[in-house]
Amino acid sequence: MPRFLALLLVLLLAGPAFAQPSVVQTDNVRAELVSDAATVKAGEPFWVGLRQTIRPKWHTYWKNPGESGLPTEIAWTLPPGAKADAIVWPTPTLFDIGGVTNYGFKDEAMLLVRITPPADFAGALKIAAEANWLVCEDVCIPEEGKFELTLPSGAAATPAPPAVRTLFETARRRVPTESPWSARYGVAKSGDPTLIVEAKGLKPDTISDIYFFPAEWGAVATMAKQTASVTAEGIRIPLRKGEAKTAMPERLAGTLVLTEKTADGTVKQAFDVSAKLDPAFVPAPASLQGLATGEQLSLVQALLFALLGGLILNLMPCVFPVLAMKAAAFARLAGHGQAEMRRDGLAYTAGVLVSFAAMAAIVVAIRASAGDVAWGFQFQSPVFSLLIAYLFFIVGLNLSGVFEFGGRLGGVGQGLVARGGTTGAFFTGVLAVIVATPCTAPFMAAALGFALSQPAPATVAVLLAMGLGLALPYLALSMTPALQRLLPRPGAWMDRLRQFLAFPMYASAVWMIWVLTQQTGSDGVLYALGGMILIAFAIWLLRLGGGASLGTWVRRGVAAAAVLLAFAATLKLDDAPATAASASGGQTSGVNFEGWERFSRARMAEAVAAGKPVFVDFTAAWCITCLVNERVALETAATKKAFEQAGVIKLKGDWTNRDDEITGVLKEVGRAGVPLYLFWAPGADRPKILPQVLTEAMILSELSSIQQAKR
Amino acid sequence: MSNFSVPRRSLMLGLTAGGAALALAPAAAFATTSPDVGKPAPLFTAVDSNGKSWSLADLKGKVVVLETTNHDCPYVRKHYNSKNMQDQQREAAAKGVVWLTTASNAAGEQGAVTPAQANELTRSRDAAPAAVLIDPQSKIARAYGATVTPHMYIIDAKGVLVYKGGIDSISSSSVSDVPKAKQYVRLALDEVLAGKPVTEASTKAYGCSMKYPRTST
Repeated sequence: MPRFLALLLVLLLAGPAFAQPSVVQTDNVRAELVSDAATVKAGEPFWVGLRQTIRPKWHTYWKNPGESGLPTEIAWTLPPGAKADAIVWPTPTLFDIGGVTNYGFKDEAMLLVRITPPADFAGALKIAAEANWLVCEDVCIPEEGKFELTLPSGAAATPAPPAVRTLFETARRRVPTESPWSARYGVAKSGDPTLIVEAKGLKPDTISDIYFFPAEWGAVATMAKQTASVTAEGIRIPLRKGEAKTAMPERLAGTLVLTEKTADGTVKQAFDVSAKLDPAFVPAPASLQGLATGEQLSLVQALLFALLGGLILNLMPCVFPVLAMKAAAFARLAGHGQAEMRRDGLAYTAGVLVSFAAMAAIVVAIRASAGDVAWGFQFQSPVFSLLIAYLFFIVGLNLSGVFEFGGRLGGVGQGLVARGGTTGAFFTGVLAVIVATPCTAPFMAAALGFALSQPAPATVAVLLAMGLGLALPYLALSMTPALQRLLPRPGAWMDRLRQFLAFPMYASAVWMIWVLTQQTGSDGVLYALGGMILIAFAIWLLRLGGGASLGTWVRRGVAAAAVLLAFAATLKLDDAPATAASASGGQTSGVNFEGWERFSRARMAEAVAAGKPVFVDFTAAWCITCLVNERVALETAATKKAFEQAGVIKLKGDWTNRDDEITGVLKEVGRAGVPLYLFWAPGADRPKILPQVLTEAMILSELSSIQQAKR
Repeated sequence: MSNFSVPRRSLMLGLTAGGAALALAPAAAFATTSPDVGKPAPLFTAVDSNGKSWSLADLKGKVVVLETTNHDCPYVRKHYNSKNMQDQQREAAAKGVVWLTTASNAAGEQGAVTPAQANELTRSRDAAPAAVLIDPQSKIARAYGATVTPHMYIIDAKGVLVYKGGIDSISSSSVSDVPKAKQYVRLALDEVLAGKPVTEASTKAYGCSMKYPRTST
């Protein structure tokens, strides 16, 4: 009965609508054909839109409707010589109708079609369209409508009234942007494809709700959920193969949607992606990484994987030698009592757990204050990378037998580690964690990503589980007399093994230097290797002779100076990141300066003082919203032309790496991050802050307002 | 004196622990929503509109067609109003094929039918399936990953799923499209009966969404 009433109401409302030929009112959809041009010009393309206003809770379908449903179809009847292009679709929404997944639209959708009138043509242009669509709630109803538009032609095209133009403006905003990144996909042995969108350098914590809508039925299954992850190589989306039994296409097309967290809220983005089949890329079957990022991953699973991950850490080249140290200490204890061994094992475990807890606390604290932290955040600091590289190098030299710890040489860490007994065991645990983290970053990124994205208690729990995993082998050994009896007798082989273990340590140092170059550019290598030579030199000096002669003191002085100099490199590195973007260049810094000047406060002040209009774009390579704004609003042909005509000074500030000058400006206008757009009208004493999501129309209207003011 | 001496055993332990972890890691596999063609078809047992029990296992040796249905769905109506469905049911029966129509929309949902309603529909539509299976918990539909009505499946005499997808190639609700469309099921049945592999074994099914039980999602 209520449905009948609703129907009646709809029919009543529909009555007057029939008066207009371009509007069709069906039971569930009000459909209207609109044009963005009031007058058209021969040969000059314009746009029409089929606007569907859909009954609440009902939906119509995207070009790939998903597991059921049908896309809206439009058949055009046009004068000879006129042309209608394919439908340009808005970004779809995912519907789960009782377990059946659909791609479509609710409330309102405008399907855009570009029409090109014949080149030789006068009088009115008559456009007729027959459209049919399927509209569903629980039940599905095929509906159809006939539409007609008659547009006068003239020497110049004129735009439609503002209300209609607004409709088109809104509709265009809902159309996916062309992807700023290239994409590829590979097929696993199982036949399941994995898509990689090569958006390098994104911050995983700021990106969420990633979903890839395949453009066509067949190659990729319609999935209720996808488990995308943001990794160093970009956005990785494991997909499931579709129902078509044909070979995978050369190109996999679709729409990628994601939500980006910016300083001022969240922004939804949609990109048209065309991924090239990459035969060399064979995704591993459901790996630890893939699983760990899965949305379905429960806390229990995460804890289990973290524990396993911690166990695997024991095999990492960087932790290996630390374990060796531990084992050495253990061998010394071999003769001692069971209780002492147990205490030693527990102390080591405590050291590991306390370190992980400390790290968790730092992560939670930073997240609370800055709202965003990535694992290995400490490695974002080149200074830390350098110090760790030094540490690896020194430990490596020690393992090689160049020198022995125990003298004054040992750093605080080693000093404490070398100390016997419970304290030593505890700090071995701490050291194990410090050197394990650089290993963790690449191997455990996804699992840690999960940990970091969880509420604080879960983050702490996952990190502690990982710590427990790291400590477990040794803990088990110390607790189990049966295992201890299997320990071999000490002998000459121990020295050889120890010397061998120096090499993974050197390898780790090399890796850290590579990390450093990622942060600072090639200069980092110079400082790091130079610093290592100085350290080696200092060690050599200190090993020469003994006694309290003058020579010894001189040597010690020189050694101290060399060490100081090595560490002074850190000061040099501290301000290096400002130039890093230009140093590393290419894909890592994705900011394009073509047509723009580099921002500096002085340049801005100068241009403003000269009475010029100034547009400032603060951007970063990892900021998707910034990239999209550039694509759809700042770098379009129309905007570029308008900028040029208005004589605007265009400044771009790159905040990809820390930049105090830009940070200062952001703070002044009360922003925590990019995007930020400032526009100084000529002679204005303060800039106008534009919204963080730009449209071409917005920029054009800003520019036209100053043009008008000029006249 | 060296502080570093390394018992071999600790190394071994490390390796063992890591090995165990790696062995456990790739444990989870994706659950496929729909069985693949070329694989054994999921078995089912169901009661038809006349109270007779049907089990796929008992039908070994015969070719079986499954047709999900929802009598009010415009796409189902397209193929019944045009007699396309009834014709194919009769052709199939004449060739010894067992055609099972399954009313798999969940009890209480649109399209669900009682046995009496199902029989009345068969009569009024002049349909000729071997049986109409009443599947109020959508068990058959779920086993086959059906998403729409009509969603069609063909199982060969060995119990292997050899076709899944649409009834034909033009996804519309218009009766006039039936003669123009490629009748996938008919073509596939001919190939199966001739002992040939099915050329188009997996096509896009179109129609109204299956109505699964709400509690289960």
